[in-house]
Amino acid sequence: MAAKSWHWRIILALGTFFTLTLILFPVYILFKYSFSDRASIVTGGEVIPWWPYNPTLEMYRFLFSASDFLRANLMSVEIALLTVAISLILGAPAAYALARYRIPAKGLLLLSLLSVRLFPDVAAAVPVAELLFKLNMQNSVLGVSLAHTLLAMPYVIFIAMGVFDSIPRDLDEQALVLGAGRFRIFFRVALPLAAPGLAAAAIYAFLLSWDEFIFAYFLLFFSDTFTLPVYLQKILSWSPQQNLLAAVSVVLSLPVILFTLVVQRYMRAGILSGALK
Amino acid sequence: MGRVSAFFSKNWQTLLFLVPAFLYLLGFLLIILYQVILLSVTRLTPAGQPFVTLDNYRALVLSTELSQALVNTSLFALVGTPLVLAFGLSSALLVNRAYRGVSLVRTAFILPLAIPSLVTATVLFIMFDFPGGHINDLLTGRYSFSPGFLTEPVNFRASALTSLGVALGGKVWRDMPIAMLILLSGLNSIGRDLYEAAAVLGAGRLRSFFKITLPLLLPAISIVLLLRAIEMWKEFIFPFILAARFPMLATLIERAYHEWNSPFMASALSLVLVAVTLVSSLILYYGLAFLRSRVTRA
Repeated sequence: MAAKSWHWRIILALGTFFTLTLILFPVYILFKYSFSDRASIVTGGEVIPWWPYNPTLEMYRFLFSASDFLRANLMSVEIALLTVAISLILGAPAAYALARYRIPAKGLLLLSLLSVRLFPDVAAAVPVAELLFKLNMQNSVLGVSLAHTLLAMPYVIFIAMGVFDSIPRDLDEQALVLGAGRFRIFFRVALPLAAPGLAAAAIYAFLLSWDEFIFAYFLLFFSDTFTLPVYLQKILSWSPQQNLLAAVSVVLSLPVILFTLVVQRYMRAGILSGALK
Repeated sequence: MGRVSAFFSKNWQTLLFLVPAFLYLLGFLLIILYQVILLSVTRLTPAGQPFVTLDNYRALVLSTELSQALVNTSLFALVGTPLVLAFGLSSALLVNRAYRGVSLVRTAFILPLAIPSLVTATVLFIMFDFPGGHINDLLTGRYSFSPGFLTEPVNFRASALTSLGVALGGKVWRDMPIAMLILLSGLNSIGRDLYEAAAVLGAGRLRSFFKITLPLLLPAISIVLLLRAIEMWKEFIFPFILAARFPMLATLIERAYHEWNSPFMASALSLVLVAVTLVSSLILYYGLAFLRSRVTRA
């Protein structure tokens, strides 16, 4: 039995090591290329080194002085903030009502949230692009935000429902006894208590919009300014230096990596309820 | 009428909370559906006048692109979905134990979720470069530690098999953590006492895995398969960046819209994608329900 247990330990350790390599290797490559010098990429037939010959921040320096890159960042932030605002303003009250009030056909409502979530976004991209074109809203920050809100709001509602559920009902009831109306309870009691959890929902919506590619690509196809993911795809299709691609990728990923680790706990609830991509 | 107005006057506050969000979501979705159906049966006369016709669908049925895309997308979903499940399940089993540093390993396993798909695709684009990328250098044995499997570097972008294979690998890598998290919560809900009882009765680890873990994990596995299959059918970013030459349903929509310049064909294709996703999900759903009823009966 003891010998057998050793076998298992070795198999599990090897499996863990193998999986870790598989996961960390591409992430390492991403960062490595972003500070590689040209000679470590265009090697003229030599082997690509595992560590750049002369690590350099040249690409980052170039990017942060390039106006189109900075404009792309700005536009991404604008769209993401607007998405957060719309999806929280509409989503938080709905989540509160779903968590607190007795609602007929609640299951159906939740199912409809899920169906919005599962509708293929590429299949929605063309009709939305055509619709915004008709409304003269193509290439606009608001247009992309409205599309991103469609994606973000189901998550926001799911996450916020969990947050409101975790606040004791007694507080609401006491406020009710003291004569507060429903709106007052929502704004004065529930909302302040839910703020940290709603912040997680806001971060989630921000990240979703920040790295969203499909709608941004279809809606800003003919635009002079575009979001960071579209910027990355554009330079990818011109096939420039790989270190430039990697540096843009790092700028795009860093906020997502940092905040995903922060809001992991809240995201898990979203994943388990099936709301998450 | 009186009952309806009574309902509203009693519940207007609740409705005020709920209606804006759901009106936005469902209204938007309905408008999208209306638009996409309308566009898919529209064509323009030479003078630019729209008229209603089924010509878009007729043209699609006859096109080689659609049949190619259907084959490619089906293969992508049929191979990719089980792969995500296998990768997610093995990862879940690896971190579902108590040892020092396991929470760090678990966080590392979630990392792909924190890398945008577009970035993952870009990294794969760099890694699988031809002739001189890391993967080609590894495969041809140019690093001292790698034995070398090939004599010539592979141009991964040249064939449908290799380029869609790389795209599939990226998709599986990126989706693994979601599968893992769902399966982990499934594993946590299985009671320890079952395993202890099995061990007392002399069952080995493999046996208790197949007789306890797998059957009790079936609900979680079903959720993973259903949700991941949908994601596979509609995948756009990986094939678009890594294998745009080889049609998939999702990338063909883009091509129809921007290259063929036809929102009408693009909309018809969008509806084909929705229909295929829906039908395959229903088949999978009832298949899994049938399987579960068989397992619980046995």
